[in-house]
Amino acid sequence: MKRAARLGRALATAAALFTQSACASMDFHWPHWFQDVKLPDFPAFDEYTESPKSYVEIALEHDFLVRVKPWERAVLARNDMSFDPDALESARRNHTFFSKEATMPGGSAGGGGCGCN
Amino acid sequence: MRRSRRERRRERATLRALTSSALALIGAASKASADTAMDHFETAYTFSNYSEDPLRSSKTIPGGERTRYTIDTQQASVAGPVTDWLDLGLVYTHETMSGASPWYVTNDAAGTPIQIMSGATIQDTRDDLKLHGNYYTEEGRLGFGGGYSTENDFTSKDFAVDGELHFNEKNTTLSGGVASSFDTITPTQADLYPTRPSYKSKQSYTGFLGLSQIIDRRSIIQGSFTYNMNFGYLSDPYKETFQIGGHTQYGDFRPNTRHQFAFLLRYNRHIEETESTIHLSYQYYIDTWGVSSHTAELAWYQNFGDSFQLAPLVRYYSQSKADFYVPYLLLDQPRPEDMSSDYRLSAYGALSFGLKAEYLFHTPWWRDIEWRAHASFERYLSSGDLSFSSVSVPAPGLVNFTIFSVGLSVAF
Repeated sequence: MKRAARLGRALATAAALFTQSACASMDFHWPHWFQDVKLPDFPAFDEYTESPKSYVEIALEHDFLVRVKPWERAVLARNDMSFDPDALESARRNHTFFSKEATMPGGSAGGGGCGCN
Repeated sequence: MRRSRRERRRERATLRALTSSALALIGAASKASADTAMDHFETAYTFSNYSEDPLRSSKTIPGGERTRYTIDTQQASVAGPVTDWLDLGLVYTHETMSGASPWYVTNDAAGTPIQIMSGATIQDTRDDLKLHGNYYTEEGRLGFGGGYSTENDFTSKDFAVDGELHFNEKNTTLSGGVASSFDTITPTQADLYPTRPSYKSKQSYTGFLGLSQIIDRRSIIQGSFTYNMNFGYLSDPYKETFQIGGHTQYGDFRPNTRHQFAFLLRYNRHIEETESTIHLSYQYYIDTWGVSSHTAELAWYQNFGDSFQLAPLVRYYSQSKADFYVPYLLLDQPRPEDMSSDYRLSAYGALSFGLKAEYLFHTPWWRDIEWRAHASFERYLSSGDLSFSSVSVPAPGLVNFTIFSVGLSVAF
């Protein structure tokens, strides 16, 4: 656990340093699926407050969180893009792991207990 | 001219793809990943065989019982629309279980813990019936459900309400729900074993909150937080704790409250170039018994044309032990208030891998039904070495199992 916490802290520090450093705007190649997203020139200033813009503001302005239109959802509507493509299978697997491990499966409400031994 | 059923369905599917936000329906057992009620009827049947490996001979006394549990599970479901904005579904599960289960732990001459099993006399069946429904509006979905499950020695009633709310042009969905479960336990042979109570009950109340976000045309992410509280008799009546030297067998004593917290993150991405979809999930779990766990799963759905799909998966799990877990008590050790020798409360890690094959086909000459046949296999291995934290003496009862499953589902 301590090792994991240390690793987590190190990763968080590295991420913080990276986003604060100039590397984020220099010759960094985003993976190709971000190609259609135009990144702003850093630092981006708000003309009114004359302060640097927050990442949330930048994301909203540049459609970083792309709004997918209804007619662009053919792929998202695929069966294998659903979080539970096979409801019976996921119910059975959740029940098995719930009975054999000390953890409850998250992400839903429901499911009865069992007298599993 | 009258259009064929398949043409009409294809049209509806296109329409659904257009209107769908493809957000996962959490909890309920239907494939309504859309904002409208199901547009067809669907019925499915699955048979699964769950089989635990026998206990290794070094983990028990010479000549001791080594066989473990076998469970045959049959699931049948039917779901369909009632109106344009309401659908209902029913899931029935029938399980037959047999074999032996871990009873208590003692140690051998070398001082290593060994597992004593119950006799291979357990014969039980479980019947579970669940009903669920969904009511759809422009902005979201309201779901409700209930279930009843019964075994020889156990009954469980559960109720659930959940919902979804879409906003940000249906790119973001907030989901949430509450559920409760009321269970009663009437252990068998309570008159023969003084550690077994004759009648006990427990209740659990769950709440969850989730947020999912469409990232782009091909990927979606979902985060959720689940809180569950349990009250009542949470011990296992069939487990005992052995005091070495004193030859005293105590019962299984767990605290009668347990608060559980789970943080789940799921990410799906479709790769059009290779016709494959990746499912990634990670869950961090912690509870007031001192157990914390990590679960990570990666599934790869590889399509070959329109009709064949292979889906391998890997799952890693690691948990820490409960505060009151003890394999056994030593002679001079005072009896703690809470204690359990259950291997499921010990620290361990588990690795499982599986493969699923699915074949989809239509029968235009017969009612134009869409059939989906599948077969799957999963192997689960647990050990102290696989644990995230270091385990000095792993529980001797840790289980390995194999699951085979075949099923057929029909949409019409």
